[in-house]
Parts: sequence; structure tokens; C-alpha cells
Amino acid sequence: MKERKNTIPLILGTLLLFLSAFLLLLFFYNKVLKPDLASEGSKTIYVRVIVPDEEEQEFTIVTDAETLREALDEKKLIGGEESTYGFLITEVNGRKADSSRQEWWCLTKDGEFSEFGVDMIKIQDQDRYELTLMEGY
Amino acid sequence: MRPKDIVIIGIMSAILIIAQVALSFIPNVELVSLLVILFSLLYGWKTLFIIYVFVLVEGLIYGFGIWWINYLYVWTILMLAAMLFKKQRSPFFWAILSGTFGLIFGTLCSIPYLFIGGVPMAVSQIISGIPFDVIHCVGNYAVTLALFNPLYRFLEWVNHKGQKLVS
Repeated sequence: MKERKNTIPLILGTLLLFLSAFLLLLFFYNKVLKPDLASEGSKTIYVRVIVPDEEEQEFTIVTDAETLREALDEKKLIGGEESTYGFLITEVNGRKADSSRQEWWCLTKDGEFSEFGVDMIKIQDQDRYELTLMEGY
Repeated sequence: MRPKDIVIIGIMSAILIIAQVALSFIPNVELVSLLVILFSLLYGWKTLFIIYVFVLVEGLIYGFGIWWINYLYVWTILMLAAMLFKKQRSPFFWAILSGTFGLIFGTLCSIPYLFIGGVPMAVSQIISGIPFDVIHCVGNYAVTLALFNPLYRFLEWVNHKGQKLVS
């Protein structure tokens, strides 16, 4: 009986100790880890991928990248090759432009043709871009 | 102080140092807390000498940084806590005490930062150390629960043998 009397405070003590440890970890998660996860990126941009006769796709990218190319690369959304005019997009979201059919990817911002290459466009929060597969040079 | 005490202090300090160095590759899992508790129960105030020989040698091994200032008082606090409950023999009780010590270790170690950078620096030290304190707590609890009885019996046996050799 005496032993049982002694055991209860020890069990309670153990529970209290591990509860305190758990609460501390919870506090750490909310104060340190969660804000870090939330600050994944400071800018949000939207990229629409338009392929004729196919369903349009829109990608939301949260990023700290400076240029559009960096942001698209982070999401592995584009492929291409370096040229004397900068980076030339030949593939978007797995869809390659077929040069034998004179296909190419056109980059626009809010519907306006972009004067700069994808690696020279500095992105800003809430920017909207379109990548459209065109046919014919 | 008798020669026997000096021998005890020397051997136990060496055990403490070996235990610390041997487990130093696992962050915050250690035997030092359990040994300090056991020494406090078996040797009483002589543990102070054991602790400070250990602290001095640790400084010589790893260098005298801010952590060393922490070592000057944290182990003594644990010793005083153990002396307070000297009659307790339950491994569960000592596991709870050792686990609590592990959990507040970071807070105890933040005291020097109060004087260096004020309350914000000390608080940030405490918060950034929470995961390590939790590991320390769980590690101390498990180690003490598993090893308190065997090590207590072993040290008692060593003491008994030592007494016989002296007399």
C-alpha cells in the first residue's frame, strides 16, 4: 500500500516532466519554426501556361527570387538553352516547342509582349505572366 | 582531508571526465548528471571537489569559454538539489530530477548572457536551445532510470572495498 502511495507522485512527476518538454517543443515550433516556414518567399507571382487546344494551367509561385527565370527554375517549370540574346525557353511544364513545326514559347506580362528575356525580368509581388506556345515564326 | 578522500576525489573526477568525453559525440546525452547525483548521495560535500576538478580539466581540454562559466555553477546546483533529497532511493525519483535538470539546463546556462546582452539575449539563448534541452531531458531521464541502481550498487561496492583496503 505504501509502495503504491509512493508510486503515484512519481508517475505524476514523470507525466508533468514530459508534458513540460512537449509544451516547450510546441512553443519552439510556433515561435521559431513556423515563422521560418511561412517566410518561404516574399513575392507571389502568377504564371499562366497556354497551349492551343489544351486546358490552360496557372501556377502560383511564392519566391524570393529576383528574376523571372530564377522563380520559374525554382519550380522547375522551364527548360531551354543559353543564346546570345539570353536564355531561350524551349520547354514549359514538360511541353517542348517543336522547331520542325515552328513552335516557340512567347512570354508576355499581363498580355503585353515582353521586351526582355526571362533572365532579365525583375519580378515584383503580384506580377502576372503568360507563357504561350505559338506556331509560326 | 584524509589521503583516502584525495584518492576518491581523484578517481571519481577521472570517471566524470571519461564519461563526459566518451559521450561527447552525442549532443546532450550524458552521464555526468547521473554521476554527480550518485556522488552527492555517496560522498556528500566531497562532491564539490570532484565537480571542480572535473570543471578545471574540462576547461583545459576544451578551452575556457562562456560555457565554462556555466560549468562553475550548474553542477553545483545539481549537487545541492541531490543533497536536498538524500534519503530518496527510487530510480524514478532521480530520473525525474535528472530530467528536470536537463530541461532547465539551457535556462541555467543563459545566466551569463543576462550580463552580456541583457534579458533579450538571455531569452533568445533559452528559446534557441529548447530542442537541445528536450533531448537533454529525455536522455537524462532514460539514462538515470536505467543506470541509477546498478551504478549506485557499483559505487557502494567500490567504497566498501576501499574501506577494507585502508583498514
